[in-house]
Amino acid sequence: MKHLLGIKNISKQEIIQILDTAKNFKEVLQRPIKKVPSLREVTIANVFFENSTRTRLSFELAEKRLSADVINFSSSSSSVKKGETLLDTVQNILAMKVDMIVMRHASVGAPHFLAKHINANIINAGDGTHEHPTQALLDCFSIQEKLGEIEGKKVAIIGDILHSRVALSDIFALQKLGAEVMICGPITLLPRYASALGVKIETDVMKALAWCDVANVLRIQLERQQIKYFPSLREYNLYFGIDKKMLDSLNKEIILMHPGPINRGVELSSDAADSHHSIILDQVENGVAVRMAILYLLAQSKNE
Amino acid sequence: MSFLFKNIEIIDKNSTFHQKKVHLYIDNQHKISGIYDVNENPIFLEDIIIKDFAGSCASVGWVDMYAQLGEPGFEYKETLETGAKSALKGGFTSICVMPNTNPIIQTKNQIQFIKNFTYQNPHIDLLPIASVTIDNLGKDLTEMIDLHYAGAVAFSDGDKTIENSDMIRKILLYLQKFDGLLMQKSEDVYLAKFGQMNEGETSTFLGLKGIPNLAEEIIIQRDLKILAYTKGKIHFHLISTAESVDLIREAKKQGLNVSCSMAAHQIAFTEEDLNDFDTYLKVNPPFRTKNDQLALIKGLLDDTIDVLVSAHTPQDSESKLLEFDMADFGAIGLETAFAVSNTFSTLSLEHLIDKMTTIPRKLLQLSSEKIEMGEKANLTFFNPNEKWVVKKENIVSKSNNSPFLNQELKGKVIGIYKNGWIE
Repeated sequence: MKHLLGIKNISKQEIIQILDTAKNFKEVLQRPIKKVPSLREVTIANVFFENSTRTRLSFELAEKRLSADVINFSSSSSSVKKGETLLDTVQNILAMKVDMIVMRHASVGAPHFLAKHINANIINAGDGTHEHPTQALLDCFSIQEKLGEIEGKKVAIIGDILHSRVALSDIFALQKLGAEVMICGPITLLPRYASALGVKIETDVMKALAWCDVANVLRIQLERQQIKYFPSLREYNLYFGIDKKMLDSLNKEIILMHPGPINRGVELSSDAADSHHSIILDQVENGVAVRMAILYLLAQSKNE
Repeated sequence: MSFLFKNIEIIDKNSTFHQKKVHLYIDNQHKISGIYDVNENPIFLEDIIIKDFAGSCASVGWVDMYAQLGEPGFEYKETLETGAKSALKGGFTSICVMPNTNPIIQTKNQIQFIKNFTYQNPHIDLLPIASVTIDNLGKDLTEMIDLHYAGAVAFSDGDKTIENSDMIRKILLYLQKFDGLLMQKSEDVYLAKFGQMNEGETSTFLGLKGIPNLAEEIIIQRDLKILAYTKGKIHFHLISTAESVDLIREAKKQGLNVSCSMAAHQIAFTEEDLNDFDTYLKVNPPFRTKNDQLALIKGLLDDTIDVLVSAHTPQDSESKLLEFDMADFGAIGLETAFAVSNTFSTLSLEHLIDKMTTIPRKLLQLSSEKIEMGEKANLTFFNPNEKWVVKKENIVSKSNNSPFLNQELKGKVIGIYKNGWIE
């Protein structure tokens, strides 16, 4: 594997390899000295064209724990025509002898575009409304850790599916690992051709919760909606939000996930987010191990 | 200088020599002065250039009903000169020039600017399409009658859809004074907003915002309704969906004066080809599904779709070498339109040529032309069976945003004759 651009184009075996490697790194992270020398000769640039705190921190920590040299570039302004293009920016960074690019970008396909024109390894840290592969891998890792396996499990992804890169990557990853996936949300936030994804479609949150083993609740991202898709956050919370009472009313235990940051009181109430159902902080912890695994495996590919 | 083109098969339904192999003699006044059986061996005393084109065909010069040329304002993408060269290379001796320039083509002077080019370059007719609303904003009407007498062959906001239904009503009524033609691009701006490609399975997998078929069909349906009310005539350019074809087929059956075109590249690609985020395949209307494509081809065959056009939309590399959603829409097409149509459609050669000659001439009310003795020569020479590969270095357009780069196509233009031989 030279790049990690998305989950769609990687195999089940590659996913399993990443998850297995991550298990080892998670073990490393429990030690008093959390640092290993694996990427001592590697320089990595975290290039973020969109605001991000947690994903960037998680990558940076993963890189540092692998002893890589790290530089950060952030710019909220995306490339402007007739100005410095994405390709210019990245080529400038690469000219300083950088081996790997971790990129977040508001444009769908931006890392795929880069991959056609540059030589360095590229990790997609989120491209617009397309994919967020490292999030999907850490979600799979966390489910596996909690439930033992993913095969045969039922996962409901709840919220703004239309604008979510997490949803798409999660769907691809979970299906490859044998899970059944349902999407649930206001119908205006579900893709019209969602059935092509091979998922179940539901608009009633309670029914989705009753069906699933895992509920992955997405952040309602008003900032990524250029057009209004639902009337108000208040109404969203009333009819699509999840609270502890709903979870307790189920006659089974389900686990609750969220890619963060949570809008408390919108998609999740505080009592649900902080309940024993929630593995939200495990996801954050596992994120570092999974990203270490990906960085390590991509760096390996260079030596092959 | 006079010319003798030997062993040419005539493709011209209106000619008595249709599908016959002949030697074609064009005198130094550019008139067809001799059409000889291939067994004859005519002798000329004057200086004459003889070209043997055995295996090739000649038809009346081709007409393209949709090209963006960029001048004035976007000379870095295309100029009238490079656009004309591109057209001639593609076998077109007349092309409709859309008004989406900067400034917009909407005054007598600007019409004259386009026409002047033809005075200086008599091998090609640049047919100015005048903007129908001021600055293509859809708010105020341009001086259509005046523009008509100045030489505008039709009226359109080009790649912009006229959104306001009342404007459509006024335009369709007003144009009736001189039997003028409105060319409408059909895309509801609200339904298509921020759309990057066809809304469908592929866009779902790519997470790209889609442009639904509905966006096109709703405008066609609305405008046909208005047309039934106003009478007059309308031409929908660049239609792309199965239901658009159905709507127009039905309207024609009801006797409405409606015509339409499709971009030649639509028969070569579908939405699935966008999986690799190739910005050269980012066009508008977008490549649709196989089902739409089959319906378009059926529409071509039964003449619901009147003409095939190049949809020539040059973009400099800075507008294409970008993230997919940042890249501009459009593909060049003048140099490949015939070959693409010939390669991918199931039209007979005769039918295809009809859609590039007789039918557009009729829609645009241009003089009818045919290959007969005494007629002025306006001819396109082509070999329908010759295969060639589209190479960047051979493109004469100022831009090279062709979706067919490095692909093999069947059907090659050899040259044109219009006030002289150009090859």
